[in-house]
Amino acid sequence: MAGREAVRKTVQQVRPILSIDRDEARKRVLNLYKAWYRQIPYIVMDYDIPMSVEQCREKLREEFMKHSNVSDIRVIDMLVIKGQMELKESVEIWKQKGHIMRYWKETVEPKPTDFLSKFLNNQN
Amino acid sequence: MASLLRTISTGLRSALVNGAARTQIVRLSSTEAAKTEETKPTVRKHDVAVREQLSDFGRYVAECLPKYVQKVQLTAGDELEVLICPDGVVPVLQFLKDHHNSQFANLVDIAGMDVPSRQYRFEIIYNILSLRYNSRIRVKTYTDELTPVDSAFEVFKAANWYEREIWDMYGVFFANHPDLRRILTDYGFEGHPQRRDFPLSGYVELRYDDEKKRVVCEPLELAQEFRKFDLSAPWEQFPNFRNANPATEEVPTKKDEKK
Repeated sequence: MAGREAVRKTVQQVRPILSIDRDEARKRVLNLYKAWYRQIPYIVMDYDIPMSVEQCREKLREEFMKHSNVSDIRVIDMLVIKGQMELKESVEIWKQKGHIMRYWKETVEPKPTDFLSKFLNNQN
Repeated sequence: MASLLRTISTGLRSALVNGAARTQIVRLSSTEAAKTEETKPTVRKHDVAVREQLSDFGRYVAECLPKYVQKVQLTAGDELEVLICPDGVVPVLQFLKDHHNSQFANLVDIAGMDVPSRQYRFEIIYNILSLRYNSRIRVKTYTDELTPVDSAFEVFKAANWYEREIWDMYGVFFANHPDLRRILTDYGFEGHPQRRDFPLSGYVELRYDDEKKRVVCEPLELAQEFRKFDLSAPWEQFPNFRNANPATEEVPTKKDEKK
């Protein structure tokens, strides 16, 4: 009886967001990646950003790889949905140049890691 | 009780038309007179007839939709609340809208609520209005970060923007919504600001950068370290209302009686 309880607790029936299994979730992610990949030249042109298409593709890959450790199907779906919305915002030019350039975080200074620069920055 | 007091005080007054002890008794009678019935009570009184009617209606709804209605309750302000499971949003709202004896055809608002300690932390609250019967009702359901809720758009067209707002503020995903996207936050904004675990100051700050000639976004760094403010007062604010009526009163339904 106790064993059954444990099983019931671990295997919880949940309502899927979009995908039923991992393969489907994977397909959605790849589709989103491809859609972004194909739209990047147009985004670069429309927003007139000082970045090359290659740099943008690198950034796209980086943004996707940021979540490479996610394994929950529903979390993947949620990220895909948000990515889809962001793609639409970019393609329809609802965003502005500054919003696109935010991905690069150009003005953010990396935090000091070694002792001396930390000391000079007055943090310890 | 009040009438009894009134007779006593009038009796006293008539007995003391002449007398040296007048001032003393007058003082007494004035302290007694404070207990007369309030003409403008500050606390709203329950309207028993309305409550009866609403609880009858709530019971009827629970009887008609036993699969979805989990609890029916009346609030202190004589409002009916129907608590349903997340699967039943569309059928319950459709029922309340189309049933001849309810006709809740107007969606006034959809609200969200976040209680992180609960298993299903978000509450979605539909306020609907029946112009035909001049009555309001509240339908509540629950969900968590990852469980989608059915969109009420097919029942009430007004749900479109309200659901977008909830999606934006709380991150609750509405399935079958025709146009789910952000509505209040800026493009590129990350996170859902109405969640209780979202800090008041946010995670980023925006400023105009003169070199880049555009607005840039930087992670927020506060000069002061995080401090925990203990805002609760050490004393009790409303001791008179310690034993006040609870905010809601459950309406017993047929389902409960069977158990």
